[in-house]
Amino acid sequence: MQKNLAKPNPRILHGETKKMIQTFIQKFTQEKIEYTKIGSKYFLATKSLIQIKDKIKITPLLVGLYLGEEKEGKFAPSLALLEIIAKTSTNKVFIKDIGEMDFIYGKKLRSRHILKIEGETKVGFLKLIQNEHDENLGLGKISKEIKEGGTIIKNKMDRGDFLRREMD
Amino acid sequence: MNPFIERYSQLGWDYTETKMRESLWVNTSKIRVEELKARLEKKRIILKKIPFLEKGFLVESKRFSLSSTQEYLQGFFHMQEAASQLPVQALQPKGLVLDMCAAPGGKTAQIALQAEAVVALESQQKRMQALLNNLERLGIKNCIAYNIDARKFEGVEFDKILLDAPCSGNCAKDRRWFSKQTISNFEKNSKIQKELLSTAYDLLKEGGEILYSTCSLEPEENELVVDWAIKNLGLKTMKLDSYGSEGLTQIFNKKLSEEIKLCKRIWPSQTQGFFMAKLKK
Repeated sequence: MQKNLAKPNPRILHGETKKMIQTFIQKFTQEKIEYTKIGSKYFLATKSLIQIKDKIKITPLLVGLYLGEEKEGKFAPSLALLEIIAKTSTNKVFIKDIGEMDFIYGKKLRSRHILKIEGETKVGFLKLIQNEHDENLGLGKISKEIKEGGTIIKNKMDRGDFLRREMD
Repeated sequence: MNPFIERYSQLGWDYTETKMRESLWVNTSKIRVEELKARLEKKRIILKKIPFLEKGFLVESKRFSLSSTQEYLQGFFHMQEAASQLPVQALQPKGLVLDMCAAPGGKTAQIALQAEAVVALESQQKRMQALLNNLERLGIKNCIAYNIDARKFEGVEFDKILLDAPCSGNCAKDRRWFSKQTISNFEKNSKIQKELLSTAYDLLKEGGEILYSTCSLEPEENELVVDWAIKNLGLKTMKLDSYGSEGLTQIFNKKLSEEIKLCKRIWPSQTQGFFMAKLKK
C-alpha cells in the first residue's frame, strides 16, 4: 500500500523574501505565532528551549516544532505549521472520507470529494485541506472555480509526505 | 549446537523462537485512547492493552499497514515494540532530560510528553531525518535535537538521562542475527557503551538518574556494563517496578555486584529481548 504513494509536489510556496513565514500565515489566520529562526529554518520554541540552546556551543537541527524553511527565495511550510494555523483559520476546504486517501496519495481533489468550502473560492487561492474531523491533511490550491466542475483543487502538500520520507 | 543458544542456556534461558508482535503507544496529547480505538475499529484494526505498559497496545488484527492510516499520519500513535516502550516508563521523565541515542525518536517523543524539555542527540546523519520526521508528525514542541556523537556533547547538566545504547540487537528482532554476530562484536559494543555511560555520568546533576537500556541479551552489553559503572563511576542501581526478571549476578564464572539484581532482563517471549538498569548519581 505504502509503495504506491505518489511523489509529492514540491513543498515550495510563494512568499516574500522578508518575513516569509508571516506572509504565509496571514493568508490563513490573524493568529500571531512566535517563531525563532536558525539558518533558513523556522521553529516554534519556548523561552526555556532557547535558553538551553544558548548554553550549547553547536548548532541544533531542531529547536521545538519545525514550522518550515526558506528554499530558493520561497517559503516551504511544514505540516506541523499547517496543523497549527488550521485551528484558527477559516480558509479551509473540508473533504469527505472518500477523498482523504486520494489527497494523501498526492492526488487532486474533485468536486465529488468536497464537503464544504470556507473563505475564498477564486482560482489560485491556497486552502487548508481538512477531513471530516477538522484535522489538517495538507495544503491545496484552487485550480478551477467550483461552478465550472471538474478538477477543483490541486495538491500542494499533504500528510502522506511523512510516509514518503520514511521510504526515502 | 549454536554457541549463542548454549550461552543463553548457561544464563538460564532455554531458547525458543519468538515472533515480534506489532505494538504502538497512543499520543494522548493529540487524541484520547478510546477515541483512537473506536476510529481504528471502524477500519477493522483491533488494539489490545498491554498490561505492563501505561499507553501501549498490541495490534490484535489489521487489514493493512497501520502506518498508512490517517490516524498514524495525524500523529495519534507511534509504532514501537512493547519492550522498547519500557525504558521511558521506567525513567519517569521530569525536568530537563537528555536522550543520548535518540533516532528514530519514539522514546524521545515519549520523554517529551512528560518532561519539561528534552535534548536529543543522534550521531548518524542518515538516522537523524527519521527522528525529525517523527517529532514533527507527533507534534512534539519541547525538544532540541543535535547531530552529534553523545560522547562529545557538553554544556548542560540534566535531571534525567536515557541511554538506550547502540547494541548487537537480539534474535527475536532479526532472523539472521545468529549468523551476523560474534562475541568480539559484544566486546566492541561494550567499550562504546561504557564510554557513553561515563559521559552520561558527567552530564548528570547530583542526585539525577540514568536509565540504561539495550535490546541485547548479551551480558557483555548489559550486566557487565552496569557492574563496571557501579565500580568505576560510583553509580547506584535503583529498584525498577517493571516487566521482566532480575538482572543476573552470576555471569558464566564471574560473580557480579548483588545490586545488579535490581536491573530488569527480558528474555524473548511476549516481547523481544531487552535489558534495563536505573542508576542514580
